[in-house]
Amino acid sequence: MRRGLGLRSAVLAVLTVLVLLVLAPFALVAINAVKSPEEYATNGPLSLPGGLYLRGITDFWIRVDFGEKLVNSFLIAGSVAVLAVIVSVLNAYALGIGRVPGRSAFLVFFLLANLLPQEALVYPLYYLSKEVGLYNSQLALIIIFTAIQSAFGTYLLSSVYAVFPREMLEAAAVDGAGKVRTLWRIVVPISWPSLSVLFTFFFIWTWNEFFLPLVFLISNDKQTVPVALGVLQGDRLMDATTTSASALLGILPAILFFLIFQRTLSRGIMSGAIK
Amino acid sequence: MFTSRIRAGTIAVLAAASLVLAACGADSDDSAGDGNTLRLWHYEGPNSAMGIAWAEAIKQFEASHPGVKVQFEAKGFEQIRQSANMILNSDQAPDIMEYNKGNASAGLLATQGLLTDLSEEAGKRGWDKIGPSLQTTSRYDDKGIMGDGNWYGVPNYAEYVMVYYNKDLFAKHKVQVPTTLAEFEAAMDAFVKAGVTPLSVGGAEYPAQQILYELALTKADRSFVDSFQLYKGKVDFKGPEFTHAATTFADWVKKGYIAENSAGIKAEDMGVAFTQGKFPMVISGSWWYGRFVAEAKFQWGTFLFPGNTLHPGSGGNLWVVPKNAKNKSLAYDFIDITMKPEIQNLLGNSGGVPVLADPAAITDAKSKELIDNFSKVSSTDGLAFYPDWPAPGYYDVLVAGVQHLINGTKSPEAVLDEIAKPYDDNLASLGK
Repeated sequence: MRRGLGLRSAVLAVLTVLVLLVLAPFALVAINAVKSPEEYATNGPLSLPGGLYLRGITDFWIRVDFGEKLVNSFLIAGSVAVLAVIVSVLNAYALGIGRVPGRSAFLVFFLLANLLPQEALVYPLYYLSKEVGLYNSQLALIIIFTAIQSAFGTYLLSSVYAVFPREMLEAAAVDGAGKVRTLWRIVVPISWPSLSVLFTFFFIWTWNEFFLPLVFLISNDKQTVPVALGVLQGDRLMDATTTSASALLGILPAILFFLIFQRTLSRGIMSGAIK
Repeated sequence: MFTSRIRAGTIAVLAAASLVLAACGADSDDSAGDGNTLRLWHYEGPNSAMGIAWAEAIKQFEASHPGVKVQFEAKGFEQIRQSANMILNSDQAPDIMEYNKGNASAGLLATQGLLTDLSEEAGKRGWDKIGPSLQTTSRYDDKGIMGDGNWYGVPNYAEYVMVYYNKDLFAKHKVQVPTTLAEFEAAMDAFVKAGVTPLSVGGAEYPAQQILYELALTKADRSFVDSFQLYKGKVDFKGPEFTHAATTFADWVKKGYIAENSAGIKAEDMGVAFTQGKFPMVISGSWWYGRFVAEAKFQWGTFLFPGNTLHPGSGGNLWVVPKNAKNKSLAYDFIDITMKPEIQNLLGNSGGVPVLADPAAITDAKSKELIDNFSKVSSTDGLAFYPDWPAPGYYDVLVAGVQHLINGTKSPEAVLDEIAKPYDDNLASLGK
């Protein structure tokens, strides 16, 4: 009993330290975001702000038209999340339940596509999008990220569907359900928690993408939040307080989204195959 | 079953909505070469000297070109660095943009045929009145090496490395502003004796290598710079210039002028340590000037590195006109406006270093000191560029080399060998 208690408090202590370590950068960003540049220059990055200085945040908002960037990011991340889940479901239905011949080869292929660094994809994607007139358009990014995200989604969902209870599929077939009907009425509702998890991840991953949006969205009015944050990074100088303010603005939406869908996430991870 | 129908419905609605939204996002740009818009990109902050001067230039341009709208977009440095060649190779290229000087940036784009040759305009409009060392970064030969060949860019401002000093700390420790290297070392000795580290140094980034280069320039002349930067002769890394640089630098660490923990300090932290009043001096470039004016709470001033006639520095980033620009003549007009004395003086009075200003028109006292010192440098053609320019990836080589000197993990001779090799390899690959 005593040993259990000791172990427990040790684990608790380690966890507390870990949580503090994870939170420390956020705290640093937050205190520097509300600090005036003079205060930063006089007292350094670790000092506590003397008052609430919100000019950095409002200046940055106005300078990059942050509201527009939020809309752009929501548009791209939302479209990608929805489309990539749909594509993943259709792929995984064929590979996991339909047992298409050569499916493990398919899966390896999808996984490889997911593992390719984006730097290697940039030039081919650039020439392709220029050919079809989609360079500097959000549609190009939506297509690219739908493909990238659904590669992972297909891989994951296929293994979920591979262990899908055969009895239910057979029962549906006996009741006269066709393939499409079985998908929409049986498979999708039962795997709904997994799909919500995928949706949440796709949204946050796409939201945080920097490199491809940087290369593909040329006009400022089409850019996303992470690209807008990059505007502050100069050649030799950085503006630490405004950069902190922008970082705070940049991570808030993703954190909010995560908190809202957090319940779905934990449900999805714990859910079994049969209700 | 009921809930699942709702879910299926939700999916369908979401999918449809996302497609509609996506279609909305795919509208195409309507900026054609109609002579009515000038698409202008730069990446200077709105409160920087360049940002202020160029905003005024846009106003003047629109006033002198009725009916023409300037479509300005503030870009990120990183975006331009990563994707300039892709943008300029497409129909999305702007009419004029700011771009980085140097062989690896403007020089490379010039060899790829993505920039317009500005030689004729530069001669006609008098942009070539800027001094010879400022012109170096404007002209690139057919291999993309700066110094000779056609004009591909026009610098609107300049930059140079100097010593910033905290007047309050100098007064407190009764130290005079030094004018020779010996006096400089004596001044630093006085601070060390009082328990104060004299120099704030960022060894993890560009500042430390610029100090090393300053020390090399102490023993150097123009032909050394031409050899080192423009490959016009052979550079002996064991010659007097670099030997003096490396041994003196190591000596300065030993004497406590440079703190031993400087190897891990970033440029940003170096600057903040100076504005916090922790160090009496920092050796760095004019890009800090505006920031120190705004943020330092003590009396401070600047002086040129004592005893040197050559200093690290160069023309600033360039105005370039992409090959695919649709309104080139408007772009030339705009460059011309930014070179006018009015805009140049505004740039100077806002804390920048103008290239064609009238020194008498600089009224701001703080700016005057900056520009007077620059006049001293440029009147003797004293800009020696930056030590990391001559070879690709040389920046990291120099950071590592100088860190060895700070940490004392390698002797000056070994460090010189280390930095000589990549330089010579690059020469060999250029066929020089």
